[in-house]
Amino acid sequence: MKVLLSWLREFVDVREDADEIARVMSLRGFAVEGIERIGTEHTVIDFEVTGNRPDCMSVLGMAREIATAFQLPLKMRLAGPASMADSSKRGPATQPITITLENPDLCPYYAGGVLEVTVGPSPDWMQARLKAGGVRPISNIVDVTNYVLLELGQPMHAFDAAKLTNNEIRVRTARDGERLKTLDGQDRALTGDMLVIADGTRPVGIAGVMGGADSEVTDATRSIVLESAYFNPLSVRRTSRKLGLKTEASTRFERGTDRMLPGTALRRASALLEQIGAAQPQATVIAGSATDVALRAVALRRHRVTALLGVSVPDEQISRILVSLGFDVTAAVDGWSVTVPARRVDVAREVDLIEEIARHNGFDKIPGRFPALRQASAEMDPRITRARQLRAVMTGAGFSEANSFGFIARALAEPFGGENELVAIANPLSENFGVLRPSLLPGLVSAVAHNRHREQRDVRLFEIGSRFTRSGGERRAIAAVWSGAVGGDHWAGGTRPVDFFDIKAVAERIGAALGLELHAASVDLHAGNVGRMAAKPGADAGGPGDARWLVPGRAAVLTDGERTVGHVGLLAPAVAEQHGLAAVDAVFVVELDLEIAESIVAERTTAIEGLPRFPSVSRDISILVDESLRAEDVRQTIRQAAPPTLIRVREFDRYQGKGIPEGKVSLSLRLTFRSPDRTLTDAEVQKAMDDVLTALRARYDAVQR
Amino acid sequence: MPDTPDRSALEALRADFRARVASARTDAELKALHDEFLSRKSGSVTGLLKQLGSLPAESRREVGALVNELKTEIESALDVARTALTASRPPAGAVDVTLPGRELPLGRIHPLMRVRREVEDIFTRMGYEILEGPEVEDDFHNFEALNMPPDHPARDMQDTLYLERPIIGGIWGAHRRDALDGKPPDAQVRAATLLRTHTSAMQIRYMQTFKPPVRIIVPGRVYRRDNLDLTHTPMFQQFEGLVVDEGITLADLKGTLEAMVQALFGSNAKVRLRPSFFPYTEPSAEVDISCQGCGGRGCAICKHTGWLEILGSGMVHPAVLEAVGYDSERVTGFAFGTGIERIAMLKYGVDDIRLFYENDLRFLEQFPA
Repeated sequence: MKVLLSWLREFVDVREDADEIARVMSLRGFAVEGIERIGTEHTVIDFEVTGNRPDCMSVLGMAREIATAFQLPLKMRLAGPASMADSSKRGPATQPITITLENPDLCPYYAGGVLEVTVGPSPDWMQARLKAGGVRPISNIVDVTNYVLLELGQPMHAFDAAKLTNNEIRVRTARDGERLKTLDGQDRALTGDMLVIADGTRPVGIAGVMGGADSEVTDATRSIVLESAYFNPLSVRRTSRKLGLKTEASTRFERGTDRMLPGTALRRASALLEQIGAAQPQATVIAGSATDVALRAVALRRHRVTALLGVSVPDEQISRILVSLGFDVTAAVDGWSVTVPARRVDVAREVDLIEEIARHNGFDKIPGRFPALRQASAEMDPRITRARQLRAVMTGAGFSEANSFGFIARALAEPFGGENELVAIANPLSENFGVLRPSLLPGLVSAVAHNRHREQRDVRLFEIGSRFTRSGGERRAIAAVWSGAVGGDHWAGGTRPVDFFDIKAVAERIGAALGLELHAASVDLHAGNVGRMAAKPGADAGGPGDARWLVPGRAAVLTDGERTVGHVGLLAPAVAEQHGLAAVDAVFVVELDLEIAESIVAERTTAIEGLPRFPSVSRDISILVDESLRAEDVRQTIRQAAPPTLIRVREFDRYQGKGIPEGKVSLSLRLTFRSPDRTLTDAEVQKAMDDVLTALRARYDAVQR
Repeated sequence: MPDTPDRSALEALRADFRARVASARTDAELKALHDEFLSRKSGSVTGLLKQLGSLPAESRREVGALVNELKTEIESALDVARTALTASRPPAGAVDVTLPGRELPLGRIHPLMRVRREVEDIFTRMGYEILEGPEVEDDFHNFEALNMPPDHPARDMQDTLYLERPIIGGIWGAHRRDALDGKPPDAQVRAATLLRTHTSAMQIRYMQTFKPPVRIIVPGRVYRRDNLDLTHTPMFQQFEGLVVDEGITLADLKGTLEAMVQALFGSNAKVRLRPSFFPYTEPSAEVDISCQGCGGRGCAICKHTGWLEILGSGMVHPAVLEAVGYDSERVTGFAFGTGIERIAMLKYGVDDIRLFYENDLRFLEQFPA
C-alpha cells in the first residue's frame, strides 16, 4: 500500500519524517517495502499490509494506525455535499433508478448515486496523488472512484446511466449461459454462482471484481450511476478465482471491506466530483441496510492479557490503544467489553484484541523468559538417529551427501517407476517438476552428470529421503551412486574403474550399519519374478522387480532372505544418457528401502555371544565347476554338507583361462571350522572336508583341482 | 702446473681441493676428486711427488714434507666426507615421506543437514522431542485445522502443489507407544492430496495424538509453487517448533528464540520480534536477528536496517488448540518455523540458495566432514 505522506498528514498531524514513520510502523506490524521520493515535496511510503488487515489498504486506515502509534488524534474531515441529503432534488434530465438486491446474503447493501457529468481529465493535483499511489489517471469520473478507493478503501464503480436498460440495477447471480465483456476487453462466461450487477436485461458488471465494457463511462457519457456497495468476501473470492481475474477491488472485497463505509464513500466521491466540476449529484438510491448486522462485542479479560503476553500492560494503556484504533471500550468486571468496528474483519475474539494491545504496546516490552520443563522429552525419532548414523558411515566411505528436489520430470522418473506408479502433480511449476520422484536415483544421477560436466570425474554421492509411488505411497530410502575410479590417481598406482563389487560392498556396508545381512540375487529381467512391486507395503516394496534402470547381468536385487530391500548394479546406459551422461560412463547405483530395512531390524534384538575359547581351523579347496553356477549355491551346498562347526565360507579366488576347460571355472574357497567347547581334531575337520567335496561332486559334478 | 713444485702451486692445489670437497654431494664426486688429486697415474699431488727428484737436495726435503702433508690432508678430508655421506644416506627401506598418501576419500555431510543437526541438538538440550512427519499431507492437517478453512485468503500466501490423485503418506511417530489410548499413533496419512507447504501440519497430528505438555521440533522438507531464483526454491527444508502447556507466554517464545539464535550465531546475536500475521498464531511475530554482516550497524546485506528476518512465530491460535481438542482456556502455546536454507545461507555466507540443490562436489567439499 503506497501512501503519500502529504495525503496522510491530512488525517494525522504526524511530524516525524518518512524514515521514522517507517521504522515505528514496521514494529507495529506494517513492514515497509520502500520509501520513494518524488520531486522535492512528495514522499511515498510503501507499507506491506498483511492479508488480515484490509482496513489498512487506504490512507485513512494507515493514518489510524499511525495516529495510535504516535499517540495523536485522527482527523476526520469528510463531508458530503448538502444536496446529497435531499434525494427529492432531482434534475429533470435524469431518470431515477431502481435497485433490487436479489441475494441479500451476497450483497446486503448497495448505494447508487445518480449524477449528471461532464467527462474530462481530472485536475493535476488529483492525478499526482493517484500516480503516487500507483494508479493511472483515466478520466475525472474514474479518477474520483480510484481516489476514494485509495483514500477510504471503498472500491466503487461508475456505470454510464444511459446504458442501463430500464434504469434498473439488479444485484443477482448470473444465469447460466450469460456472458459479459469486461473492461479489460475479455469476453467472459458467467456461471450461476457468480454475483453480477445487471440492468433490466443483462449483466453490466461482475460484482466486486470488474465492470462491463458496454456500460463503461466514455467521453459521450452524460449521466452516471456511481456504485458503492458491500459484497460478500467469499463470493468475490470464488468468482475472482474462477475467472482468474484479480483487481484492486476484488483484493479488498475478498479480504472484507467495511460494511458501514459505502454511504460515506459515495458522499465523498460525489463531493469530490462536484468540487472538481465534473458532476452534479442528482439522487442517491439505497438498497438494503448496512446496520442490520449488529457490531461484534468481545469480552477482554485483564488476566488473559498477562497470561498470553507474559507482561502486564497498564489499564490506561489498554483502553488508550483500543479507543485510538476505533474500538468502543467499556469497563467490565474483570476487564472490558469491547465493540469492534465493522472495518475490523480480523477481530473476532479476545486473543485478537490482545494482539492489538501487544502490537501497540510494543513487542520490545516483552521480556525473554524460558518455559518450565515439567517432564522428560520422548526419545528422538529413531529414524533421525539412524539417518545420522548412515551419514557417518557413508561419508566415511567417501560418499558426500546430496539433496535433490522431491519432484522430477516424468521422462526421468519413468524408468524407475513405470507409467502406472508415478505420482503426478496436478499443478506443476513446469514439466521438469511434473511427478514426485519414485526413486532417489534420478536426482543422484543428475548430480553425477552435473559434476562430470564440471571436471569432477570421480563422483560418489548418497542421499537419504522420501520417494513416492502410487501403490507404495511415501516411503523413505537411502541411495548412492558411484562413478569414475576407485581411489584417486596415486604415484604408486592402484587406481581402477569402479565395478559391480565396489557398489555391492557399499550396499553391504549400509546393510551392516543398519544391522542387516543382505543377500544379492541376480535380477531376472525376462521372467520379472523377483520382488515385483506389491501393493502391500513391506512385503515387496523395495522397488519394481524388473529393475529396468539397471543393466541385465550386472544388477542384483537385495533381500534379507525373504523381503526385497533394494537393488544394486550398473545403471542402464539409456538412463544415463537421459541425464546427459555419455553411455560409456559407468555409473553404479544402489538404493535401499529404509522402511523395510528398519522393520526387519526392529524385529531383532542384539545379544552378544561369548568370545571363542578354542582355536579355529581353516582349509582351502579348489574346484572346477560350470561357470554358470552361482557362488551362493555353492556356499549353500557346503553349509548343508558340513557339520555345524563350519563357521565361515569365503571365496578367495575365481579363475578362468589357461588350463581351465571352456565353460568351466576354478573356484577356490576357504572354510573355517570352530567348536565352542573343544579343539577340533584333524580327523574331524578332514571328515567334514570330505563330506563337503562329496556333496559338491554329487550336486555339481565338481572336480577337485 | 709448473714444471717444478713450489709453494704457491702447492697452496693453489690445496685451495682448489678444499673448495671442491666442500661441495661434493655424492660418492662419485668424491671418487673423482680422489682420482684427480691422488691417482697413481695422473693425480696432481702424485705428480708433484714424482717431480720431487728434480729439485735440489736442500729444498727437496722441505717441499717433500709439504707435499706429503697435502696428500695426508686430502686423504683424511676424503675419508671424513665419505663417512658423512654414508651417515646422511637414508636407511634401508626408507621412503620419501613427502610423497602424497594413498587417498582415503572422506565424504561430506550436506550443509543443510549440518544446520539441521545443529538445530536438533540445540533443542534437544532444551528438552524438545525431535520427530519427522510425512511430506505429503491432506487438506485438514495442512490448512483447515491450522485455522485456514477452504477459501481462506491466507491460503494464497503458500501456493500449494496438489497431487493428481491421493496417495498414502509417510509414517510418523511409529516409535511412540504412549499415545492417548495407549496405542501407537495413527501413524499413516491415508489419503494425502497435496505436498505439505509447511511443517506446521505436524502440529495438528501431534496434538491430536498426545496430551499437553507438548514440546517438539519437526524438521523436514516442504514444497511451494515458487520459481527458482537466488532466494527461492520450490522445495526447501524447514523446522517447526511447538510448545503447549499451562502458562506459556509470548515471553517464553522470545526467550527460547534468543537462546536458539545465540546458540546458532554466537552470544552477540540479538533477536527482535515484529508483529505479523499468520492464520494459526495470534499474536504473530516475524523474528529478526541482528545482521551477521555488520553486527547491526547497517550494511548491504540487511538493506541498512541492521536486522535480518529469519523466522515466523507466534502464540498458537486458540482455534488451532480447539481444533485438536485442547482447552484453550487452560493451555497456551507458542510455535515457530523457519527455513533451514536461510540459516545456512547466513551461517556460511551462501548467496544463491540453488547451490544447496545442485550437489556440486566443489561446493559440498568446502564443508568440514
